[in-house]
Amino acid sequence: MKIKKILFVTLIMALVLALAACGSKNKNDESSPSPTGSTSASPEESASSGALEASPAALTGDFEIQYFVGGYGDAWWKDVIDQFQKLNPDLNIKQSAGPKINDQMKPRWIQGSPPDLVYIDGAGSNPRQMIEDDQLLDLTDWIKEAKNADGEKILDVMIAQPEQYGGKTYNIPLVFGSYGTFYDKALFEKNGWEVPADFESFLTLSEKIKAAGISPYVHAGIYPDYILGGFLYPAIISANGDNGDILKDMGDMKEGVFKSEPVLKALNQLREVASKGYIDQGAPAINHTDSQMQFLQHKAAMIPNGLWLESEMKNDAPADFKYGFVPSITQAKGGKYIALPYTSTMAVAKKAKNPEAAKAFIQFIFTKQASLNWAEKTGALMNVKVDLEASKAGETAKNAMKYYNSDNTVVAPVVVFNADVFKVMGDATIALSVGKIKPEEWADRVEAAAAKARK
Amino acid sequence: MSRQAQRKIFIFTFLIPTFLFFGIFTLYPISKGMYISLFDWSGSSEHMTFIGLDNFKEIFRDPIVWTAVGNDYFLVLGKVIGIVLLATFFAVAVTRFRIRGQQFFRIAFFIPNIISAVVVGVLWRFVYNPNIGFLNSFLSLFTKEQIRIPWLGEEATALWSILWPSIWAGVGFYFLLLVASILSIPPSLYEAAEIDGASQCRQFWTLTLPLIWEQVKVSILHIVMTTLNGSFVMVLLMTEGGPDNSTQVLGSYLYQMGFRQFHMGFAAALGVIILILSLITTVILQRVLRRDAIEYS
Repeated sequence: MKIKKILFVTLIMALVLALAACGSKNKNDESSPSPTGSTSASPEESASSGALEASPAALTGDFEIQYFVGGYGDAWWKDVIDQFQKLNPDLNIKQSAGPKINDQMKPRWIQGSPPDLVYIDGAGSNPRQMIEDDQLLDLTDWIKEAKNADGEKILDVMIAQPEQYGGKTYNIPLVFGSYGTFYDKALFEKNGWEVPADFESFLTLSEKIKAAGISPYVHAGIYPDYILGGFLYPAIISANGDNGDILKDMGDMKEGVFKSEPVLKALNQLREVASKGYIDQGAPAINHTDSQMQFLQHKAAMIPNGLWLESEMKNDAPADFKYGFVPSITQAKGGKYIALPYTSTMAVAKKAKNPEAAKAFIQFIFTKQASLNWAEKTGALMNVKVDLEASKAGETAKNAMKYYNSDNTVVAPVVVFNADVFKVMGDATIALSVGKIKPEEWADRVEAAAAKARK
Repeated sequence: MSRQAQRKIFIFTFLIPTFLFFGIFTLYPISKGMYISLFDWSGSSEHMTFIGLDNFKEIFRDPIVWTAVGNDYFLVLGKVIGIVLLATFFAVAVTRFRIRGQQFFRIAFFIPNIISAVVVGVLWRFVYNPNIGFLNSFLSLFTKEQIRIPWLGEEATALWSILWPSIWAGVGFYFLLLVASILSIPPSLYEAAEIDGASQCRQFWTLTLPLIWEQVKVSILHIVMTTLNGSFVMVLLMTEGGPDNSTQVLGSYLYQMGFRQFHMGFAAALGVIILILSLITTVILQRVLRRDAIEYS
């Protein structure tokens, strides 16, 4: 009987505790919107304080910023937010950050109480989807005039201009990088191979490399982003007379663009490379890490990848490995290089409670000083033109910067594809690269996906 | 308080929390999932548009769904046959043939079950790696030229390559289940059979199998259910559904559509389809596998 009683009491306790745990969680959920609710007056206050540049110190109320913490770390964020806080002592800044922040904040976005400012990066984030979900503030007019903390126009100091959706700007590119083809300078020198300057020399070189018993070209078939960004998109732009607008049309899913001649020409280039056996046979089965390991082990000579490659493989590269980078390898003889940028962007929530603070923060960070700070803290590039030579940025980044500054390089527009179209495009590209389908079938598949997405 | 009332309170203290948790964590999500399946919803938007059964119509028109259903049942069939055969074989070998080192085999077979699915997936990715993988290196021992088959990258081999690790990782648990069940058969039955001159083979078919049938049945049903609901883990880890969607299963396609392509309504509808398929399959199997309970006394 006694045992029964003890068991009974324990169970009751457990139940009460469990319920209490649920209860307190609910309380937390409720309390998070409430402070924001109490500060609904703050935008008016800051609005009444007049132009932002005049007195950024006037910001008050709550300001919440959501940022994903991934390969770039959070040192830069903590630093700039700290500086911003010192400028605005009355502003109550809340940081919602972490490697899982996109999932953690999702309920807030769904419920309509998002943070004020968001840095869109990492798994589970897609700026295009946020725009389609009507979650981001239209910044078109503001960004045209906005000046940074040093009084320079933000648009003037940017390397890549903001992407446009239906003619409107919603997100501001913060991180800048580009895809390209990587090789090991040391290996090339040892074998007397010349870095390809165009598609023809790429083919000749590949033949030589193949004869030497090495795979000329490897990519991560599981993630087609690499071969799309490092091969296909630049090829399409080259075939379009170096005009990057075609990529924008593809992003906007204009009817017929996926069947257009430049696209088919680029697809045929890929097919040629594939049919000659220059693409590593194992490519469709491997992910980015596998492909990069293969590249570092000299089992493949060239790889389409992004500027992050060097820092990503820092611990795995052999000591004598020297990263070489060329923006594109698909242009005709004498043609310009095509640098295909990738960016991670920032945006203000449409339902931000303190949009003025969010905008002021963007103005505060788009400076040369913050850009240098970024390069030194992350080893990557921020989207503000700055002289890197004196900085601690990686070799690859510095090399790449030389290409962007050259007249012989076209920087393609930043385009984020509709997720459905992108998936079909990736699948079809892999299918094409193993000879399963023809370029025309590629075009039909992607056109169909685009037609469906347009509805 | 009367004894009767005390007893009732005692019973309810067990039932209510259980039912509460079951309601919150099982019934509510299922009904919510069904509800969402009737909407066009990105999964991140505040707005949901009611579209009735359009998601389901879309599912029936989507060729990838049919590939996925086919792949699901390929894995179900492959795993049921592979795991049950191997588990029974090993269990009989360990218990009936008095092999030395029984304990060792029990542990050895069970180890893959302790390893998390993620580790299994990554481990086998290395086995299958076209250039540095164990399998190709092993096969190359017998050929002049280096073999470089992309096991996970060719449509003909990719799904088979996912099947083997799933079997490998699954055998141990069912093996232990069957060992326990064989050990619970009274030894006197086997002694009697031996006196009657029954061979080992005969003993297996007329004694062992009928007496462990309940456990075999449970194993089959359990494999079917876990495969239909959980095979997407291996798929996502090893191929992400590729190449060209040829290894997609319903679970991985659900993940792809819901969390990567932002069609949460469609994904929820896929979830409902998985639920229905699991229910139908289980009910049919229950019927097919029904046998009269056999007891020897």
